[in-house]
Amino acid sequence: MSITFENVSYIYSEGTPFRYEALSEINLEIEEGKMTAVIGETGSGKSTLVQHLNALLLPTKGTVHILGRTIEAGTQPKGLKSLRGDAGLVFQFPEYQLFEETVIKDIAFGPKNFGISEEEALKRARNAMKLVGLDEQYEERSPLELSGGQKRRVAIAGILAMDPKVLVLDEPTAGLDPMSTVRMMELFRKLNKEHGKTVLIVTHDMEQVFRYCDNVIVVEHGRIRTQSSVSEFFRDSSVCRGMNILPPAMIRMRDLLNENGFDIADTVMDTEALVNAVERQVKRHG
Amino acid sequence: MGEFTLGRYMPLDSPIHRMDPRAKIMAMLLCLIAIFIPAGWIGYGVMFVVISGVILRAGLSFRFVWKSMKPMMIMMIFLFIMNCVVLRTGDVLFTVFGISIYKEAVLQTLYIVVRLLLMVMITTCLTATTKPLDMTLGIEDLLKPFERIHVPAHEIAMLISIALRFIPDLIEETQRIMKAQESRGVDLKEGSLKEKIMAILSLIVPLFVSAFQRAEDLANAMEARGYAPGEPRTRYKVLKMTTADWLLIGCAALLLAAMIVLARMA
Repeated sequence: MSITFENVSYIYSEGTPFRYEALSEINLEIEEGKMTAVIGETGSGKSTLVQHLNALLLPTKGTVHILGRTIEAGTQPKGLKSLRGDAGLVFQFPEYQLFEETVIKDIAFGPKNFGISEEEALKRARNAMKLVGLDEQYEERSPLELSGGQKRRVAIAGILAMDPKVLVLDEPTAGLDPMSTVRMMELFRKLNKEHGKTVLIVTHDMEQVFRYCDNVIVVEHGRIRTQSSVSEFFRDSSVCRGMNILPPAMIRMRDLLNENGFDIADTVMDTEALVNAVERQVKRHG
Repeated sequence: MGEFTLGRYMPLDSPIHRMDPRAKIMAMLLCLIAIFIPAGWIGYGVMFVVISGVILRAGLSFRFVWKSMKPMMIMMIFLFIMNCVVLRTGDVLFTVFGISIYKEAVLQTLYIVVRLLLMVMITTCLTATTKPLDMTLGIEDLLKPFERIHVPAHEIAMLISIALRFIPDLIEETQRIMKAQESRGVDLKEGSLKEKIMAILSLIVPLFVSAFQRAEDLANAMEARGYAPGEPRTRYKVLKMTTADWLLIGCAALLLAAMIVLARMA
């Protein structure tokens, strides 16, 4: 099974002078069990796109298939609430959604809304805290007095505690320091690889796309520009340069080497392989 | 939101739009006073014609003004019925369901409704033709003379303009937080009373937190640029009264005088 979009359009303020078509006729397939990156300029429609995944926005036209549910334009779909539990959406700067008195209560808020018992919700909350790397001493602290990075982790734990099958993250590392960013991305990879969650991540950082994701979707002016696997996408860097996307450092390094007399195949996609290729060629000439 | 026109600025270019906000505020005040002078139907007729002229001159349509009145319609109808039923003076006009409706009561009530309608028309003339920021500049200048009795004119104006500036931001923020909480399973429409209270709490607490955060950021940004309340400041936009502005105030004063004369004659 996969998540599919069929001819999906989304129009804001239809029928008023402020009408704005944020998505037009999108066709998309997101593989389950994979980590997919959604990239595109600010205002390209990425956020509108991901809000369709838990039916916060319903398509103006077209159909979305997700986790066995069909959301069709013009109909009031059933089972929206359970979909919100199955497809967890973490908004940009999620720290602004914290409101409870204690960290543990805030994290348990989500699961409780989906009818899970207090006890089980607290258990899940503790698990989620462990996952995001917050130890027990934070349980009874007020979420409002934590640092920015810690708040972000509490907010993400709040979604993880709902135990969603699909995890959608809208720029989860924006504004975090490099160390926290790496830890965050490692967490998402772990959730994907070890817990089998489908992860969809909106990002501007090509290094993250390159290093962590399996597939990539490029959104441009409300349309899908490209959809491919990450290795395919970065193989020939002229493709992404053509879309005004700066390829990751490793690919740029490979390009530079090739421009200066090396002959490294475009199948070389990681640092180790690159080093080996360079070593081989230097030795051959040496 | 799109349908709500009461108090909304209409970005047009007309002689009324170009007038000094101080002149417009003064003229509006004079007209509002004039409304409350009991000058009879002739008086209200004159007021209506004059104000309609201003509305047309400002390039506004009557449809726009009518839309502004809509939110007040229910209140007016309620007021009309209440007054008709409760007031008991003069001759009985007719009787329904054993309730006598008096002629005086109907007339009195009609006066109130007409006054309200005229008030909306007048204030619409001001708000639809004056940018909110120009309005606050005007208010600040008009309050200047009262600084001698310790009215903080500049602070009041700054307060109003900051409040106006943050309205769209806060609306956007509210929608964002609503979506975030809905993603956590909050159901803002259904659920028991307890769930509803939790839902509202989950909205209000983050909204307050971010509003205070914004306020602090703004205060710091203002201080960083050397803003100090109470210190004399120069202005980027300097208001200047023209002949047309003085004429507007003059006309409004004349209208007020005419109403007083009409009221005396009646």
